[in-house]
Amino acid sequence: MVVVRLDRVTKIFKGGVVGVKDISLTIKHGEFMALLGPSGSGKSTTLYLIAGIYKPTSGRIYFDDRDVTNLPPKDRNVGLVFQNWALYPHMKVYENIAFPLRLKKLPEEEIKRRVLDVARMLQIDKLLDRYPWQLSGGQQQRVAIARALVKEPDVLLLDEPLSNLDAILRISVRAELKRLQKKLGITTIYVTHDQAEALAMADRIALINEGRIVQVGTPEEVYNRPATVFVGGFLGNPPMNFLEAEVEDLDKEIFLVIGKYRIRAPERYWSIIRRLKTKRVIIGFRPEDTSIKPESLDTICLPGRVYGIEPLGRENIVVIEIGGELVKIISGRRISLTLDQMVWICPVMEKIILFDPATGKALDRLVVEEKIRAI
Amino acid sequence: MPGMRDVEIRSRSTELLIMCIVFMLSLPVITGYALIILSSFSRDMVTNLDPSAFKPTLTNWILLFHGRTALFAGIRVNIWGIVFNTLIVALGISLLVTITGALTGYAISRMNFHGRKHIMALLILLHAFPGSVLVVGVAFIYRLFMPSYTYVVYYSFFFVILARAAIEIPMATWLMKGFFDMIPWEIEWSAIVDGASRIRVWWKILLPLIKPGLAAVMLFGFLAGWMDLIYVRTFLAEPTLAVFIEYNVHAEYAYLPLVAAAGTLYLLPTILFFLFAQKLIFTISVSGIKG
Repeated sequence: MVVVRLDRVTKIFKGGVVGVKDISLTIKHGEFMALLGPSGSGKSTTLYLIAGIYKPTSGRIYFDDRDVTNLPPKDRNVGLVFQNWALYPHMKVYENIAFPLRLKKLPEEEIKRRVLDVARMLQIDKLLDRYPWQLSGGQQQRVAIARALVKEPDVLLLDEPLSNLDAILRISVRAELKRLQKKLGITTIYVTHDQAEALAMADRIALINEGRIVQVGTPEEVYNRPATVFVGGFLGNPPMNFLEAEVEDLDKEIFLVIGKYRIRAPERYWSIIRRLKTKRVIIGFRPEDTSIKPESLDTICLPGRVYGIEPLGRENIVVIEIGGELVKIISGRRISLTLDQMVWICPVMEKIILFDPATGKALDRLVVEEKIRAI
Repeated sequence: MPGMRDVEIRSRSTELLIMCIVFMLSLPVITGYALIILSSFSRDMVTNLDPSAFKPTLTNWILLFHGRTALFAGIRVNIWGIVFNTLIVALGISLLVTITGALTGYAISRMNFHGRKHIMALLILLHAFPGSVLVVGVAFIYRLFMPSYTYVVYYSFFFVILARAAIEIPMATWLMKGFFDMIPWEIEWSAIVDGASRIRVWWKILLPLIKPGLAAVMLFGFLAGWMDLIYVRTFLAEPTLAVFIEYNVHAEYAYLPLVAAAGTLYLLPTILFFLFAQKLIFTISVSGIKG
């Protein structure tokens, strides 16, 4: 079990395609870190760099204090599980799990003991005599995890291991995998494009977009305080709503103007807006932090038209059109709205986040950056 | 709905028509083979489609196995030696083609090196060259390294296998490349992360997955060696079956029904291959790789 540290790692593929750019990231001892991002963002590339399948173009990779940048995969002692599990089709389950141990030339009884141990732990000890194609998707996935764990790796790397499972199984395996990771206390890096998976399982999440790390934090941090529009728009289902607005500073108060309507800016942003001399902002608010009211009660409400209603059983998602933009609001189980009805939507003032339209970054982040630059 | 069919099922009459056409087209070939097999069991050649010429006998086969190539003259050849020579050449070529093809196919499929694209294009070009065109150049090389007469027999075997395999290797390489391409990278990566070297991955993981492909290349190599006439006749110090038949067809003492028996013997691997290949080709998709 080790601390994995990436120090300004860049990978540029043949032909100039940028895999990841200038990534620095530390995964703590025994931590469950999720690398989250859309497809093609470079999250799998990062994982393969850690595994040693790719070599970085520049930058260094450390396991504890050991520089592993130029070490071949077999000398890194990592366990790797692929999305398609990559079991060896011509070997029985037992041989699949035993393969890494056989390569280490361990004695036969040692191999047998360790294979049986890990198989029992993953509840596949009854399947050892079968071929991979005789197993269900969930069972194959367990075999792949067993094969990764049997060599007692320092780091466990998982590349979307749940995406080939059906939806219901995925959710049950999620909890199991998290429990297993905590029990073994093994440093784990988990690549996924499914934000729910990352939020549910990870100790910390690193959001990756276009080959760069956008934000690193606990699920609560990245969900409640997104650093950029991308993070807000990637996390949550439905994700954060965004509306563009002009800033109107009336000395006493600051207002945000959206089309013909204006709302009071949250007070904690006043000094930030004045300091940055912001002219335009993007208002971000979460669907669950917003209520729908028949009339305006507050200075923070905006008028809109009901565009559509999506009942989900436990809740309803109401799609509302505001000045040509669509926003999604989660409302309670029972609603009495009709299509095209005029309503007021009222985001919770404290939960609103303002972003800079030019850089996509949250305003409070920009202030911090500016302060750092000033020093 | 009546008259509706699954897409892959043709109507019975279409099926029958197609079968008829295929049969008609293959009739001349089938007739040829049938006549030669028939002649081998007859006192006279059964040609001209005259059934009265068929006079059943086993003499031809008995004579052949005793190595007596003419009915009356006392000419004797070591027929089993000839079969043995043929087997050595065919198996040698088969082995060499398969090993080289599996290695080069892997390299071209899985490794990134300078000039890879050019090599692939060159391989196709090489395959397009008929072996007979190259025979003069090959003869030059043959002379170049020829040892003293004591060893020339061994040398000629070695040389024929090498030269004839070289002609088959481009095709084998392409075939093997196609098979390696079908195996997902993740399987190879998995094995590498598990601690295997690339050569071990090739041997332990990839080769078992492309067994049908290996078998196909092995058989093609074997048949190439078994059937070859030009290279064997030009370079080999000993005769093979093909050469033996070719000599006897136009020898003065030629006794054709006996040659027909030799021809039938010569056909045997092809017939076996046909029976075997039917099974092989239908299982050629690499099964069980997809999750």
